Amino acid sequence: MVVDLWFVFRVLVFPGFTFIFFFTMFCDWMERKIEARMQNRVGPAFTGPAGILQPFADIIKLLSKEDIIPSGAKRNVFRLAPILAFSFVVFAFSFLPIDGSAVIPNSSFAGDLIFVMALITIANFFLFLSGWASSNPYGDIGATRVLTQFLGYDIPLTLLALAPAFIAGSLTISVIAANQYLPFAILAPWAFVLFIVTLQAELEKDPFDIPHAESEVIGGLETEFGGGKLAFLRLTRDVQIVFGAALVVELFLGGPYGPVFFGLPELWYFLWFVLKILAVVLITEYVTCLFARLRIDQVLSGNWKVLLPLSVLSLALTVAVATWIYPLVM
Amino acid sequence: MSKLATWARLKSPWVLHFNSGACNGCDIEVIALLTPRYDVERFGIKLEGSPRHADVLLTTGSVTKQCAERLKRIYEQMPEPKFVVAIGACACSGGVFKGNYNVLDGVDKVIPVNVYIPGCPPKPEAIIDGVVKLLNSVKEAKPNGK
Amino acid sequence: MGSRVKIQSGYLGKAAIEVKAGANRDTVKSLLEANKEAGIVALTGLDMAKKIGLMYHMCTNGVIVTIKTEIPKKNPKIATISDLIPGAQFHEREAADLFGVIFEGHPNPARLVLPDDWPENLYPLRKDAKIDEALANAETAPRQTEAVQAESEGDIVNIIIGPQHPALLEPEKFSVKVEGETVKQVEPRIGYVHRGIEKAAEQRTYLQDVYLVERICGICNSCHAACFVETVEKILGTEVPLRAQYLRTIILELNRLHSHMLLLGHAGLEIGYETLFQYMWRDREPVMDLTEQLTGNRVISSAMTVGGIRRDLQETDIPKVKTQITTLKKKMDFYYKLFENEPSFKIRTQNVGVLSKEDALKLSVVGPVARASGIAIDVRKDEPYEAYGEIPFNLITRDEGDSWARLMVRLDEVVESINIIDYALDHMPSGPFRVKVPRVVVAGEAINHVEAPRGELFYYVKSQGTAYPERVKVRTPTFANIPAFINIAEGGNIADVPPSFVSLDPCFSCTDR
Repeated sequence: MVVDLWFVFRVLVFPGFTFIFFFTMFCDWMERKIEARMQNRVGPAFTGPAGILQPFADIIKLLSKEDIIPSGAKRNVFRLAPILAFSFVVFAFSFLPIDGSAVIPNSSFAGDLIFVMALITIANFFLFLSGWASSNPYGDIGATRVLTQFLGYDIPLTLLALAPAFIAGSLTISVIAANQYLPFAILAPWAFVLFIVTLQAELEKDPFDIPHAESEVIGGLETEFGGGKLAFLRLTRDVQIVFGAALVVELFLGGPYGPVFFGLPELWYFLWFVLKILAVVLITEYVTCLFARLRIDQVLSGNWKVLLPLSVLSLALTVAVATWIYPLVM
Repeated sequence: MSKLATWARLKSPWVLHFNSGACNGCDIEVIALLTPRYDVERFGIKLEGSPRHADVLLTTGSVTKQCAERLKRIYEQMPEPKFVVAIGACACSGGVFKGNYNVLDGVDKVIPVNVYIPGCPPKPEAIIDGVVKLLNSVKEAKPNGK
Repeated sequence: MGSRVKIQSGYLGKAAIEVKAGANRDTVKSLLEANKEAGIVALTGLDMAKKIGLMYHMCTNGVIVTIKTEIPKKNPKIATISDLIPGAQFHEREAADLFGVIFEGHPNPARLVLPDDWPENLYPLRKDAKIDEALANAETAPRQTEAVQAESEGDIVNIIIGPQHPALLEPEKFSVKVEGETVKQVEPRIGYVHRGIEKAAEQRTYLQDVYLVERICGICNSCHAACFVETVEKILGTEVPLRAQYLRTIILELNRLHSHMLLLGHAGLEIGYETLFQYMWRDREPVMDLTEQLTGNRVISSAMTVGGIRRDLQETDIPKVKTQITTLKKKMDFYYKLFENEPSFKIRTQNVGVLSKEDALKLSVVGPVARASGIAIDVRKDEPYEAYGEIPFNLITRDEGDSWARLMVRLDEVVESINIIDYALDHMPSGPFRVKVPRVVVAGEAINHVEAPRGELFYYVKSQGTAYPERVKVRTPTFANIPAFINIAEGGNIADVPPSFVSLDPCFSCTDR
């Protein structure tokens, strides 16, 4: 019984659902603040101290609004897809070791890296479905763009994620994270930089935020959604961004592990994890503010012509280095 | 619970901007609200592109005959609770264009309006003040049409 | 053409030629033969009781020549000239809407500015049109509803952009036929902002009209006011004091500054470069402050009046204006660096939406759009008005003709505007800033054009010797540039539509009036 309670606590409260939710809200607020500061503005300021409650207000407001299902929409898909997309991202999150072990205790298994990335693909597929179900031309275009972009960038992302797996000699996220005496970002910086770029595209952030190009497709796949469903779509996107950052942390920045000075190691691990994620979010948001949006064909040809060959090259380089050079050094 | 919802509504009014036949004077002042000097994101105000996402409809300009139908539809597409702010003399009453052959005078001829902000164009400060007045009236929560 | 032609001198440009109804095509043709770079500026319709007068205002080498003709009101038919000058298409459609003129041989005589449910055979600018009565009768007729959903025929998808769309700050509808990612056809439906200002101007006094025409467009408001008062001054024969001319020049250049910076920032928004938008609009705020300081208003300045200007410049204002514009000029270096070096910005605008010089001439485009295609036209140089004849400044042209060049021309012009204001402040003459003018304007007619931020703005005013004008015709620069959008968009990529569209600096409240 005690074990069960512990399990429930871990899944629902910490480091499970509640923590992920609040942490996502915090990251969202930080992103908006960084963006505003980069653009010489203040950003949210009056909702709670320094506007920290702004994302909560947005979500609660959306949940309390009228729920409209357009007459042309495919009703069931329209209703379910946003919630399913959200659930899959959160589910994927629970395989990441947040305080040293994964959210669901002992859930880590060999090859869970591939599994987690597949989960994210499924979540994106539900996003596509929700856009398609709304039967709005802009929703359709936005959904197609999500799918095109995601499928394209999935390949280099997976290839690049294999680089740390090779160095660590394992496809298990917790093993990869635990084996980084020197963060892989230092051992394989080429893969790290490429991974950040690809992630930027995968998370649909500038210069790759084509599915959200307001001047072209209004709200993209979100166009017809309002109220609670919109809240879930926005949440999905926000959790995805945090998840992407978490993946970078696990694969390249040594996961939650770091120096433990006193007391419980879990608390320290948790602290390192959060700090590292915030650093990654800072970098991606910084890049977002620096660039204009590219065109969809430029993004796609950039993927097939530049990123894919580069990621193959990076994998080859990593394999070579991991096999012949690092054993000599370490 | 309803207290929480009211708080959220006050803190996160997402606006949609529709020009139903304005001279652009008010429109550029609405856009200026987003920029560093006025930065209404401080109050949680965000400009959205789709009527489905919006809580407040900012309308500018007198309503032309060709636009009336569309204005009505955009209003109907917004989920409840929704509010309408008429920005500028033209949106309030038709302004300088009152009585022209292709103009239906004020926005309130087509959809119910909660707040009128006169001026030609109103200064951004005046628009912020108008939205704040709207928010204060939301505290007593009387959404449109009810 | 022989005996049918009567040469007139007067206010209708450098020359006015009166021809018989059938000869309009021949005259235009011979004009084009004489000068290949000739284009159409405007087509003014005029209700003359039994007849409808048509005036083709043609532009050759920067000066305007008017071809006048008359057709009977009962049978208002005339041959089209849009096959000779494609740029005339929209002008003819507008005249067909407002005066009921039938242009024989017009390729697309669809409705342009009036609403879809406007009654047939009701032409608002005809003096005998009983608009209220006809509209009351039409109320009972079932309203047409517009199609919203995208429809597809085979591989071609029809996307409808607008009337409410974040890329358009104003309501206007574009049906874009797309095959894959390529735009096949663009069909603009303008008229959503048509407020009937030309008719309203006839019902108000000249002084009231100054305020009315300012509100044709809130962005280039001073230019509208200046152009209108100059036209009225031409009819009156008023000599405006030199100080007023300098002050007007300053206000007009402030107007250009704010308009260009607004557009450059908006371009950032269209290509997803929000940081550029925020920076540009932040630096634009001081210009608004200066406008407010000099005129009392941030946006619509209401500074112009017939006979001068409404507010004199205070000596104490000069240093503040000077410091502000010097700071602004320094900040422009940053934007030059950004526009010329930022890769993601260049990739979205360079070689996008190219308008060749030949096409630009054919479509009679004006302003920065023409100048970016290598056509050196600028009313400030061609026919200097106000103080522009005395102030040295450069005419900016670029040869690329793409969206990037159009934005760069505006960036260069921002710097030129700052220099003009600086020079005007240094050489400000003393004297009165306004002269008294009679309320009743003597009978006569005049045309005038000024260089608004978006290009050549054209006015025609006819007076019957009363306090109310008989006819006010406005040809805005954006109206002349809309055909260029169709030319640019067709055959291009759908994702290139926003940047190339915004680089034309569209303003529909101008276009529709």
